[in-house]
Amino acid sequence: MIRPLLVALIALLLSACATLPDDAFRLTESALALRELQTRQYEGVSEVDILSASSALLQDLGYAIDEVEKELGVLSASKRADARDPTETVGKVMLDVADCLLTLLFGCENDSYQSSKDVQDIKLTLVVRPDLSQESVHSVRVTMQRVVWARSGALYDQETVNDAEVYRAFFDKLSKSVFLEKGGV
Amino acid sequence: MRILFAVSLLLLAGCAAQTAAITAGGSQVELRQMQTREYDTLDRRGTLRSVVATLQDLGFVIDKADFDLATISATKLQDYEIRMTVIVREREGNRLSVRANARFNEQPIEDPQSYQDFFAALDKAMFLTLHKVD
Repeated sequence: MIRPLLVALIALLLSACATLPDDAFRLTESALALRELQTRQYEGVSEVDILSASSALLQDLGYAIDEVEKELGVLSASKRADARDPTETVGKVMLDVADCLLTLLFGCENDSYQSSKDVQDIKLTLVVRPDLSQESVHSVRVTMQRVVWARSGALYDQETVNDAEVYRAFFDKLSKSVFLEKGGV
Repeated sequence: MRILFAVSLLLLAGCAAQTAAITAGGSQVELRQMQTREYDTLDRRGTLRSVVATLQDLGFVIDKADFDLATISATKLQDYEIRMTVIVREREGNRLSVRANARFNEQPIEDPQSYQDFFAALDKAMFLTLHKVD
């Protein structure tokens, strides 16, 4: 009685973690909202100028340029950065200590601190393209993703960055960089 | 003795399986067909730009883009990883063919629906590119 149930459960679990989601290649509503967030338009600046302003900004931010294809307006860059969340790390260390005190008699085998975030690899693509309907207007679209590693070296999380604030901050800086590029600074 | 033979056989089988992966898959006409779509245009640049825009729409980050070889590689990271390569080639009759192939984690994607979805998204981008509002 229990065995078929167990088999079914395991099959379900296995299929859940290894199945391609239905909407992986579909343009969903949220994908279109994300496009707005990830796009900014610039008027009266050439494609090449926007690309050089972008690479200058990426250098400011400590990125390494991995790929540039001027013909297609594509620029990809990456960097490794600290991913530690101070409050989380302190919390986990405290938890470990408390656990250790409780299990003093049995020895301490806690490693939740090891499972906290450590570094992240950030990768982004920036694409400049002429606007299809407006003369001398270019749109810039940025997409970002990150892989977060735990202290133990194991994979902690991987995701596409959807945080509106991140894109707003990026474009604020890019606008400044484009302005400087125009002024020849 | 017999056990030793069995173990070595097992080891050899392991090796064979590893190298077989190098040339595994491919050459299936059906697979090629569902991964390919043709467009009535010779606008290589516009087509490649549409591919890049579509991949961005679908949440991909571009790993490689080469205009001369008309090749784009991209990765999507969620709880899973999808790697996709798109190649644009000229065809007879002033047409361009777009071929896409993708992997989901370690597995090649071979279900038609994924490619249909991808090309449906690309069709929209191509329509906008090829019918520029003047």
